[in-house]
Amino acid sequence: MKLKYILIVILCLNLFFPQLLFAQNAQHPESGATQKKLTLDRAVMCEDIKDFAPQNPAVVFSIKIGKVCCYTSFDPVPKKTFIYHKWFHRDSLSTNKRLYLQPPRWATFSTIQLRETDIGPWRVEISDQNGKLLYILRFSITD
Amino acid sequence: MTFVHYIRWQDVIDILLNSYILFRLYVLFRGTYVFRVLTGIAFLWIFQRISVYFGLILTSWVMQGITALLALIIIIVFRNEIRSVLQAKNLKAILFGFPQKSDPTTIQTISDSVKTLSKRHIGALIVLPAKENLEDVLKGGILLQGRISKEMITSIFWSDNPVHDGAVIIEGDRIAKVGVILPLSYKSDLPSRYGTRYRAALGLAETTDALVIVVSEETGNVMVAKNGNIINIHGSASLTKILKEHMGLHEAESGSRQQEKLKLGIAAVVSFFFITGMWFSFSKGLDTLITLEIPVEYTNRKPDFQIVDASVNTVRLHLAGSGALIKSLQPEQVQVKLDLGHAVMGRNIFSITQDNITLPPGIFLRKVVPAVIEVTLDETIKKELPVQVDWVGELPAGLILSSVKIDPENVEVVGGKRILQKLSTIYTEKVHLDNLKESGTIFANLALTPASLNIASGSKDKARIAYVIEHRAK
Repeated sequence: MKLKYILIVILCLNLFFPQLLFAQNAQHPESGATQKKLTLDRAVMCEDIKDFAPQNPAVVFSIKIGKVCCYTSFDPVPKKTFIYHKWFHRDSLSTNKRLYLQPPRWATFSTIQLRETDIGPWRVEISDQNGKLLYILRFSITD
Repeated sequence: MTFVHYIRWQDVIDILLNSYILFRLYVLFRGTYVFRVLTGIAFLWIFQRISVYFGLILTSWVMQGITALLALIIIIVFRNEIRSVLQAKNLKAILFGFPQKSDPTTIQTISDSVKTLSKRHIGALIVLPAKENLEDVLKGGILLQGRISKEMITSIFWSDNPVHDGAVIIEGDRIAKVGVILPLSYKSDLPSRYGTRYRAALGLAETTDALVIVVSEETGNVMVAKNGNIINIHGSASLTKILKEHMGLHEAESGSRQQEKLKLGIAAVVSFFFITGMWFSFSKGLDTLITLEIPVEYTNRKPDFQIVDASVNTVRLHLAGSGALIKSLQPEQVQVKLDLGHAVMGRNIFSITQDNITLPPGIFLRKVVPAVIEVTLDETIKKELPVQVDWVGELPAGLILSSVKIDPENVEVVGGKRILQKLSTIYTEKVHLDNLKESGTIFANLALTPASLNIASGSKDKARIAYVIEHRAK
């Protein structure tokens, strides 16, 4: 009889305050989603990409090398998504590259070919698929 | 008669004012050497203009030089005469007065005094200055400034008076000085009967336009020295006549006044025509053109507005005027001002009119290019912007600049809203890579483009750049 009352109280509590009993369990998926937020692990400007790794990362590049790359790696990548590399020469947008990412981690890069008119300060804005700015890389192209 | 259209009210005032100045110069300096030299300069100037008209280059050039030189010489040589005119008269007399004639009673007093001195054989030397200043030629003397009277003159030359040997200077109705020493004449052909008193009278009469009365102590003879001559006087009437002539009073009083008025009238008319001629000579034709590039000045801008763009910074003014005025025209004399008091934020269009342009008198505006100016005004705001280094040049071979740290990373910039909305970075001035061989720190100024931008107070205007140099991976 006593057990019967205890069960009824438990059921009532469950009915009106379900979170008291399952709160701990309910937090787990949310906590997992936070951990699996798209995170920029590394972002550098470099002369080239070799064996999936940036070569000679720097902040100044000679126009003579002909190209410059923006390398970004993400860990973790919770789901298939894409990011943007927006290249600005001074304050004018030069190109906007859309790059896909695959879970669980991914590295990607964009490249521009250099011309004489490209000499000067540059920046690359790295943003997620919603346009949220993740990082800005600043560099210069010189003689 | 087309020139009538060009004459402005300022030109009429210009001519009248200068005519009056010339007329006053005549009134103040007539009868003196200054006036004669001024007349000479005027003739030289007319001659020079005629030379220019006929294209006599060398003659006009020489005449111009001589005229300029004479104008300088007149001030140096005749400084005493000019000073005596300016010092002796008050401003009202200089501007509007006419030379006062001596009172006939003064002349009569002098004449009577001389008669008494002559009768009593009292030697006397009386100086009556004319236009010229005697300050430089007279020596010594005691200032008296006493009202003239027969008794006073007689007592001054009384043999027991300590100053009886010198001359008295009579100015108007006053005895200005007594016991004055006059310069002696150096003439070698003077009769032997002429003593020191005569030589002194003649000496002053030779060098100035003053009249000197001499009374001989021995004979009681009266003589008058003027313009380097000395003449005997027989009777008071004769002396009175000479004194009246010297002081500008004549026997026929009313006729003389008429004649005087006529002279002044003619002088006034001649002054007017002379100045009018000069004016036309300067402003003739308006046939010379000049184009000046003048910067536009913006005035009355509201404090929270700033000019972010203007279609032009300078305007070309096509100006006309006489050759002489155009030649002497300086760009600083011309101003173009735009009143931004009623301007609004954004785009404003202004027409450049005569009201916006300040020109010196006699210069006329023909054309403005461009006639319309577009000015864009913006609201002043503050914005925080990141700082980036503007590297130039080339690093030595085998080196790479791997990282840079800038302090401050961000600066607050003050400027036009429209400009700052488009700006996302403030760059440093160009930093050269060529001499960088190892990691270090350098400082660079921030480059504010456009120039209307400013660093907010409290923000640094210089960036500290810490850089890392590494060897290139092979």
